[in-house]
Amino acid sequence: MTPHLRALAVTLAAGAVATVLTGCGSDRPTLTIYSGRTENLVGPLLTQYAEANDVDIEIRYGGSADLALLLDEEGDRSPADVFISQSPGPLGYLSGDDRLVELPADVLDLVPEDARASDGRWVGLSGRVRTLVYNTDLVDEADLPDSIIDLTGEEYRGRVALAPSNGSFQDFVTAFRDIDGDDTAAEWLAGMSANDSPAYANNTAIVAAVARGEVDMGLVNHYYNYRQVIEEPDSPTSNHFFADGDIGNLLLVTGAATLGTADDTELAADFIRFLLTEQAQTFFSEETFEYPLASDVEPYADLPPLTSLGISTFDVNSLGGGLVRTEELIRDSGVDTSG
Amino acid sequence: MIGLAAVVFAFPLVYLAWSSITLGGDLLAALTDPLVLRPLGNSLALSLTVSLACAVLGTVSALVVARTDVVGRPALTVLLAMPLAIPSFVGATALLSATGAGGLVPFVSRPDGFGGASIVLTLLSYPYVYLPVLARLRGSARNTEEAARLLGAGPWRAVVTVVLPQLRGSITAGSLLVFLYVLSDFGAVSLLRYDTITRSIYASRLLDRPTSVTLGLLLALLALGVAALARLPQQAPPPADRSAPAPVIELGRARIPVSALSWAVVAAGLLVPVTVFVTWAVRGSAGLEPAFGGVSDVTGFVTGPVLNSGLAASVAAVAAAVLVLPVAAASVRRGDRLSRATAALATSVLALPGLVTALALVFFAIAAPGVLRVLYQSFPLLILGYVMHFGAQSLQASQAALAAVPARLNEAAQLLGADARRRFVTVDLPLILPGVSAGAGLVMLSTLKELPATALLAPIGFDTLATTIYFAAEDGFFAQVGVASLVLIVVSAVLTWLLVLRPAIRTAPR
Repeated sequence: MTPHLRALAVTLAAGAVATVLTGCGSDRPTLTIYSGRTENLVGPLLTQYAEANDVDIEIRYGGSADLALLLDEEGDRSPADVFISQSPGPLGYLSGDDRLVELPADVLDLVPEDARASDGRWVGLSGRVRTLVYNTDLVDEADLPDSIIDLTGEEYRGRVALAPSNGSFQDFVTAFRDIDGDDTAAEWLAGMSANDSPAYANNTAIVAAVARGEVDMGLVNHYYNYRQVIEEPDSPTSNHFFADGDIGNLLLVTGAATLGTADDTELAADFIRFLLTEQAQTFFSEETFEYPLASDVEPYADLPPLTSLGISTFDVNSLGGGLVRTEELIRDSGVDTSG
Repeated sequence: MIGLAAVVFAFPLVYLAWSSITLGGDLLAALTDPLVLRPLGNSLALSLTVSLACAVLGTVSALVVARTDVVGRPALTVLLAMPLAIPSFVGATALLSATGAGGLVPFVSRPDGFGGASIVLTLLSYPYVYLPVLARLRGSARNTEEAARLLGAGPWRAVVTVVLPQLRGSITAGSLLVFLYVLSDFGAVSLLRYDTITRSIYASRLLDRPTSVTLGLLLALLALGVAALARLPQQAPPPADRSAPAPVIELGRARIPVSALSWAVVAAGLLVPVTVFVTWAVRGSAGLEPAFGGVSDVTGFVTGPVLNSGLAASVAAVAAAVLVLPVAAASVRRGDRLSRATAALATSVLALPGLVTALALVFFAIAAPGVLRVLYQSFPLLILGYVMHFGAQSLQASQAALAAVPARLNEAAQLLGADARRRFVTVDLPLILPGVSAGAGLVMLSTLKELPATALLAPIGFDTLATTIYFAAEDGFFAQVGVASLVLIVVSAVLTWLLVLRPAIRTAPR
């Protein structure tokens, strides 16, 4: 071993020891959170809560679906107390598997009735509205439809990008089934597939493809174009909202739940209560462009008012066929493999 | 030791079989479902195409930098390994943004579907062949090549007839790694809109668990079959005299075109993505609000992840090399059933998506009794996850290196009274070290860019560069993606040079 390598080895060993030692800590209460919202979208709030309440917060970031699968494998040995999800699907999945406990009524009552689970096992934190992002150089706004159903029409053939293997699209389809029934949802999917709607990986990929003019428009969550315009101020992209009450404008909520494995369900509920305070809701509105759901905080300017949107908090337990049926409908329509 | 390795590498297969059975998945039905067979066929076609393309590109580029007077040879040697440092989804995003109208290279059409995925994955994966072949060239027989030259063979004929046969083992091993890696990839294929079996596993992972794990089991069994069938070819005997200097072939009139082509590979696989990352970083930073930007605190944003990534990748590389070396030695030397089965199992794990491997480890670790519970979500468990997932890279490289050590050297040492351990240390180890370091280098680079398993297995708060990039990309923070990707490439370059290329060059006789 050269002196150089030896020095490296010592550094590595020291680093390993330091990593282990930092694991040992104080006797302040610890709250372990699995968060499908990334640090950019929730981190500052966690710091504020930890400091104000003298709590140690341990947070594992990840994709919402991946964390739901992790929690499922961990079962009753999970170290997690709270789960934050970017969309309703992963919460529904865990709820269906009986991993979540009911939240206190005062927490649930902070949000409108349609922005929380009917069995009280999770509560909405903020909302992302489904929208049609379009390229302003290639498409005249006047030519855009009032309803998402119109996108199956001939004039939109091959022009509307979808992200069928992405959680947000899947959750939209589940909500569509919940509101209008399986047949209507299946008919729309088949129509989009027959209309040669190209499939993309996810929301970000669709907005990027629309921005560079590869495809005219795409169905996404409203958040992503706001981000795109910040990153690339000249981006020729804009969100188009459908007519009031159209299923295409569905609001998908992000949410939080207390896990059955929580050490202190009071503390977990208190943290979730904090996420619904004016301070936290203002963060969601102003910093992440999402719809606030509590404390009378106003949505970000130029978003349609919340009252004009359908809110989706489908209840997996009461939804015939469960989440699997959504997967079947998407798969059978062929919409996920068309290019 | 081999028994332990067998148990570890069997985790994913056992987990998938157990989950598929208990959740009521139907493997046989899946095998006759056209909605399964089509993406499965797509996966195989893509993996085969990319592994063949990488075999050619990786071998030729290694020969060029090791044996010719190509322009900028030292820089090329390092840079050609670097595309491996770019996570496939961020590399694909960058290449998509660089090509087509309005892009950085508008004259190149945008990669899409089978062709696009083949090209992008080849550009990002050929170092799986390049690094082991380069290592093999550093330690290959010069005297036979010299003899061929003295007997009147031209330099290229000597390379084809004498050097190439010596490389067969390394080329096969590297191509197998590419084949399995492409099977596992989700990021690039989904962005390039090519429907593979891994995309199906991901798309159904939450909505339809039984289908997802059954498709995972199918992929695992397929990979196991491929791994069991793939036999390393017999290698030509290596050097009796390793003191002769490596003959440098003067390219003459071909020097300019060969150099241009070599640098074009670096441009496509590395410089174009790097330029895109710089563009994102600059473009996005201009309009950043401090509270929402993150990048305003560049040091804080990357320091922790750099240290964590470097630590995890270095430890995983060494741990993988140590754990698989006995398996490699036994499977090459003794060829007994246990070691060959372990080698095949280890190799098959590489074809699985990281998410599946991570969930398999969680499945076993969470059930661990008593004191072992403290290991859950600890640094050692994360390392075990990396070793389980990427051990095949170290294994294949080590097997190829060991197969090239002539039996007669060991026999001579045995006659002189050296015991097995002494023979291994004094005879084998010096000869296989370049190959073993190359394998460790592959594990290191793969670990540096690993995302899904890291997110699930790492100790809480253990952010790596790859997780930083992934989360920023998820939410469209491209300036952050750009900065963190550039840092990842620099860290990878430094570690590859220090731990892989420099020792390999040093151990090679001059």
